[in-house]
Amino acid sequence: MQQVYSTPKSIKKDSTFTFCAGCDHGLAIKLVAEVLDELNLRENTIAVASSGCSVFLYDFLDVDCIESPHGRACAVATGIKRAHRALNEEKFVFTYQGDGDFASIGLSESLHSALRGENISVICINNTNYGMTGGQMGPTTVLGQHTTTSPNGRNVKYHGYPIKTAEQIALCDGTCFSARVALCDIKNIINAKEQIKKCFEYQKQNLGFSFVEILSSCPTNWKLSPSDSHKKIKEELSEIYPLKVFKDIKEND
Amino acid sequence: MNQKELLKGNIAIAKAAINCGCKCYFGYPITPQTEIGEYLSNEMEKRNLAYVCAESEIAAINMCIGASSSGAKTMTSSSSCAVSLMQEAISYACSDELPIVIVNVMRAGPGQGYIYPSQGDYDQSTIGGGNGDYRIICLSPSTVQECIDMTYKAFYLAQKYKNPTILLLDGLLGQMAEPAIINDNPYEEIDNSSWVLKGAKNRPSRQINSLEPNQTKLNSHIFKMFEKYKQLEENEQDYEDFMCDDADIIICAFGSLARCAKDLCSYYRQKGIKMGLFRPKTLYPFPNKKLEELSLRAKLFIDIEMNMGQMLRDVRLTISHNAKISFIGKPVGDWLKKEELIDAIDKILKENYATSL
Repeated sequence: MQQVYSTPKSIKKDSTFTFCAGCDHGLAIKLVAEVLDELNLRENTIAVASSGCSVFLYDFLDVDCIESPHGRACAVATGIKRAHRALNEEKFVFTYQGDGDFASIGLSESLHSALRGENISVICINNTNYGMTGGQMGPTTVLGQHTTTSPNGRNVKYHGYPIKTAEQIALCDGTCFSARVALCDIKNIINAKEQIKKCFEYQKQNLGFSFVEILSSCPTNWKLSPSDSHKKIKEELSEIYPLKVFKDIKEND
Repeated sequence: MNQKELLKGNIAIAKAAINCGCKCYFGYPITPQTEIGEYLSNEMEKRNLAYVCAESEIAAINMCIGASSSGAKTMTSSSSCAVSLMQEAISYACSDELPIVIVNVMRAGPGQGYIYPSQGDYDQSTIGGGNGDYRIICLSPSTVQECIDMTYKAFYLAQKYKNPTILLLDGLLGQMAEPAIINDNPYEEIDNSSWVLKGAKNRPSRQINSLEPNQTKLNSHIFKMFEKYKQLEENEQDYEDFMCDDADIIICAFGSLARCAKDLCSYYRQKGIKMGLFRPKTLYPFPNKKLEELSLRAKLFIDIEMNMGQMLRDVRLTISHNAKISFIGKPVGDWLKKEELIDAIDKILKENYATSL
């Protein structure tokens, strides 16, 4: 019999799925694991997980991993990358963060790492709310969205505007790659993996700060079924947060 | 032969750090410690080591977390109000058991205060300013030579006990130049291969994390940390006792202020009063064993600090059942003047020994 699928080597064998039903974190981590396998990076990788649902990365990924304080993943990754270089070792270093972690509490560390052109990669899960604490308004909560701290819907006059992270990161001179992808259907999943792969390859080629924002579902806090959550991403959120590559240093050449 | 040089405390620390193999420095400018970062910026770039002018002290200490997890000797330096910014990450680093050397060249006052010398961060450094149960190894130099020696020791203890270590001095010592020798690092290297993150090659993957949803595991992790602190308290207490053997009155002081206290001992001994100085060199672990021993003989202790009485708490906890304790403190500004101290001590002596003076 022909084997057509096996669990990626970079996924822990004994892990139990702990995310909510229909949450895209599981798929995002699997894609990351597949790319680590395909680029033969597993044994040379140090991952940085941050606070929020993204912290559970190390329950699933079978690579060396450190947990960072909330928002500081890019600073921790900077330290790891630079320390190994000071020790004459080259390691693959990436962070796995939520949008609140990367673009709110950690915006300073995130932006400055991109501005310095730190040779690290970032996977940022954007589910438009603070998921782990029960669905509060975050930096990416869209206008009109109801959360536990914007119960009447986010409005500009009272709450201000959300951040378009991938677009902002693309503006930094030190960024070599910035893209936004989604996991709402097969076509987008295939594309997401391609962009994650490019993001990781660019670090291997020492091109600078590489970034992929993944528009992800949060059915529990959105109070939608998994399929309706993906429909919302496809029909509503991707209109506000376009799924595209905002910067590719090789394309721009 | 290593030559005697005229060195500022800050530069001495930076030179000692390079000399004992510090591979990573991350920092942000703040007076009165900026020379450390300025000196290292050039020296580390020349050697292809890691130096980042971080965007904030928060970023700097988190870069230290990353670098330390990689197995590189790592240091940051800052001052008082900016060390406050680092407290969250210090709490993480204690739980993560990461060796990081943090130099705090103290300035005065709560909040912004000012750049005057002060010892106002004793509490923050020894008890900790972050959340949860943890302890910070804390060394207190009194001379520029000790700035060098204790930089070596700070790296050694940090590695040995896998714990952040603070080198705590005031702006006076950081800025003051005096002759000192950059001697060789006397400490052995500590093997860290069992815990550092280098990639999961030929071994299971490793995690460094403080998050622990299982309360039994979280309890046992903290108990394990405190076993380590017990070892520290048992083995690493360090102090200087100056003219203490026959002393009736003992001054307790740390850091640069202790130098002034030595003068006082000579002054009062000329007057026939047997005075000595007890100077903790490790603020954590506080050298309570020796202090308690001294309290069996001397009956009056005068604690002098450039703050409102922070080490005083440790002195009281150690000896209040044996001896009387008085306190002289001034939180802000110049070194307490000898005359000022003599006035204050005379007053205390009159209260305690009305007949003999």
